[in-house]
Amino acid sequence: MTEQSFLSVRGIRKSFGPVKVLHGVDLDLPRGSVTALLGENGAGKSTFVRILAGDHQPDAGTIAIEGVETSFRTVVQSRDAGIRLIAQEIADAPTLSVAENIALGALPSRFGFVDRHAMREVARKALDALGADIAVDAPVSSLRLGERQIIEIARATAGASQCLIFDEPTAALSDAETRRLFTLIKRMQEAGVAILYITHRLDEVFAIADRVCVLRDGKVSLNAAIAEVDQAQVVTAMVGHAVASDHDRYEFVSKGADPLLEVAQLGSEHFEDVDLTVEPGEIVGLYGKIGSGVPEFAAALFGAGQFDSGTLRLGGEAVKFGHPAEAVAKGIGYLPADRASEGLLRTRTVAENLAAPSWTRLANGPFVAPGIEANTFKKWHSVLQVRSRPDGSEQISTLSGGNQQKVLLGRWLEAGSKLLVLVEPTRGVDVGARQEIYAVLRDLAQQGHGILIASSDYEDITEAATSAAVMVRGRVVAHLTQDQISTERLTQAAGGGAHA
Amino acid sequence: MPEQAPTTMSNIDAGRVTSRAGRRLKAPEWGALLLFLLAEIVFFSFNSPYFLTWPNGVNIVTALSITGILAAGGTILLIAGQFDLSVGSGTAFVALSFALAAQSLGIIPAVGVALLVGVGIGVLNGFLVTVVGVNALITTLGTLAIFRGLTLSIGGASSVRVTGFDWAIARPFFDIPMSAIVFLLIALVVAVVLSRTIFGRTIYAIGANENAARLVGIRTKRTLFFAFVISGLCMAATGLVSASQLGSTSGTTGVGLELAVVTAIILGGTSLKGGTGSMFGTILGLLIVGVLNNGMTLMNINSTWQQVAAGMLLILAVSFDQIRQRFIRS
Repeated sequence: MTEQSFLSVRGIRKSFGPVKVLHGVDLDLPRGSVTALLGENGAGKSTFVRILAGDHQPDAGTIAIEGVETSFRTVVQSRDAGIRLIAQEIADAPTLSVAENIALGALPSRFGFVDRHAMREVARKALDALGADIAVDAPVSSLRLGERQIIEIARATAGASQCLIFDEPTAALSDAETRRLFTLIKRMQEAGVAILYITHRLDEVFAIADRVCVLRDGKVSLNAAIAEVDQAQVVTAMVGHAVASDHDRYEFVSKGADPLLEVAQLGSEHFEDVDLTVEPGEIVGLYGKIGSGVPEFAAALFGAGQFDSGTLRLGGEAVKFGHPAEAVAKGIGYLPADRASEGLLRTRTVAENLAAPSWTRLANGPFVAPGIEANTFKKWHSVLQVRSRPDGSEQISTLSGGNQQKVLLGRWLEAGSKLLVLVEPTRGVDVGARQEIYAVLRDLAQQGHGILIASSDYEDITEAATSAAVMVRGRVVAHLTQDQISTERLTQAAGGGAHA
Repeated sequence: MPEQAPTTMSNIDAGRVTSRAGRRLKAPEWGALLLFLLAEIVFFSFNSPYFLTWPNGVNIVTALSITGILAAGGTILLIAGQFDLSVGSGTAFVALSFALAAQSLGIIPAVGVALLVGVGIGVLNGFLVTVVGVNALITTLGTLAIFRGLTLSIGGASSVRVTGFDWAIARPFFDIPMSAIVFLLIALVVAVVLSRTIFGRTIYAIGANENAARLVGIRTKRTLFFAFVISGLCMAATGLVSASQLGSTSGTTGVGLELAVVTAIILGGTSLKGGTGSMFGTILGLLIVGVLNNGMTLMNINSTWQQVAAGMLLILAVSFDQIRQRFIRS
């Protein structure tokens, strides 16, 4: 690179105890350029950006700002150098107002008192730049997740930053919000800001980045201009070997069997008039962005949420569950959207997590025999290819996201559930484990399970579903057969191809 | 629109177990507690010739019995992420109800009254927490005040005598009094319930993540309600033990017990956040405090200093645990 970069790092190394996370990372962030940073979970992306943000200290290596070597011992030092990190986890103060949250850390003051007028002005401008229509005086706790993400972005973009680091900013955003964010990024880029953009989504990379950098096992495995690479090369750089693109497609042909699930005109405050059937062996994809009502619909099927109108039939019998326990007893398994807050029994072992819905069956009267959970887990350990001890005796929090998800899926296999309702089944799961989960789902369908995938990630639908429905603002707007399912049709039906 | 993202692959190397070694549960916490208890025993053995004798050992366990019975119920609750601060005043109210009922109805019906009152307190706490949805800390802080106040206003300032009810001080085996035997039996039952039953599993699951527990089909509120009732049953037991040991009961019976109970449970390694802990740990916690109090008494240290020591011990133990966890993490 002939032109001098705004930020230039060389040979960054970092270990946590005996674990080497980064082994010599080099990267340049030129002004007026968007660099996409990719890598599977555990590749070291988060550690790397935290070093740039002054949150972690590197063990070795140099950081230079406009050619001048420097070091960030605190987040404040990094910020003073013009670097802002928009973290993946939302870190706002829910009880404070939108304006206070945007100005957080840089409150405008007069004579030592907060200048509330100036503060609201700053917030207003930052939100306008993002095209967001959010009241600056509203408490942040009253906003939905996507809006809170926008507040985080507004906070970082409100100041005069030289370098912005986005860590998967679009996960919680709607299509329209994503489009506006991309417009803002383009504008920042034109204004000469150096941008580092972390994402899992290849389409986003090709939509906005002009350079791509891939981390694998703590090293840079690809660093190139976007024009010089294609998707296959990027994926190969991420996983370390070529990925075959013609998987065994699972074709579902209806045998006219009685449906496991029949939903007719189901309605609640989040969705209305939803019709859907799932036959044994079928994988139905229900696709919808945030606000579409898809997760609420899935929760209502399981008794974890409500429906007010319409009918829900399981194996022909009309049911309405008041508690998930009733749904479990009727043979429904449910994978919740948020693994950490709704799925994992964090302090318990892997084996116990898998056995939880089956305790009553595994027990002898009220007594659970020692070792019975370990023996139960051994059955599923190889079937699901869980990377854990064969007896699952470690705490589940020590597994990676993909393996945790397999254990949570295994719960319902052990419980013998015929119908699986899976909400966001691959959220926070890396590319490799994703494919393993899809393969497991195809196997399950082949064995006669009925599967409903409720997801905002179109890849879940294109990869696994044998038919699909698309929901927008609580209504089904399209039904697609297996041959009709494509990324384009899904995103178009859901409100226009945002990233196309 | 770029091409579809990657699909099936063989020899997948992603999704490994994370770098932090998957520790087995429980064991290390116990090790540190046992070592500390041994250190206490060695120290006091050198300082008092009477310390390491069978009668003194029996004394230590007997002195623990009331705190210990309440801590058994409290361990179940705290593992589930809940509290019961009403145990001290509940004990006093049960003892008073028993003493008054014994005077008018006789001993046997009065035992029934005591059980009903204990269960009733548990039902009230459980109802408020699981049905009405009041936070457990606030609920039981309220019932703590209510039952202390009721005990004082019904029983008056002087103590109420109980006669013909001295079973708890009988020593049927190896010179061990019945009060200690009741404590050991209840502790054993709770240990088995927690480690070997479905109910125990659901208690840990609820403490680990109440939301997730509900979504695997556990009736979380029902389970928590039952846990509060168990705590009420423990109050019935301690009310009866206390009335029998003292031959009377008064408005100050059981004052401050809730703090001793919570101290022992937390010292024994049960997290305030729930999801971890064991009855065995609680017994170690009880013994650490009990041995300290006994040893200090034998060394003629004023009992007021025992409170200071127990408080410092609690803070030290939890600080130690925090530091250890931070060390493991980084």
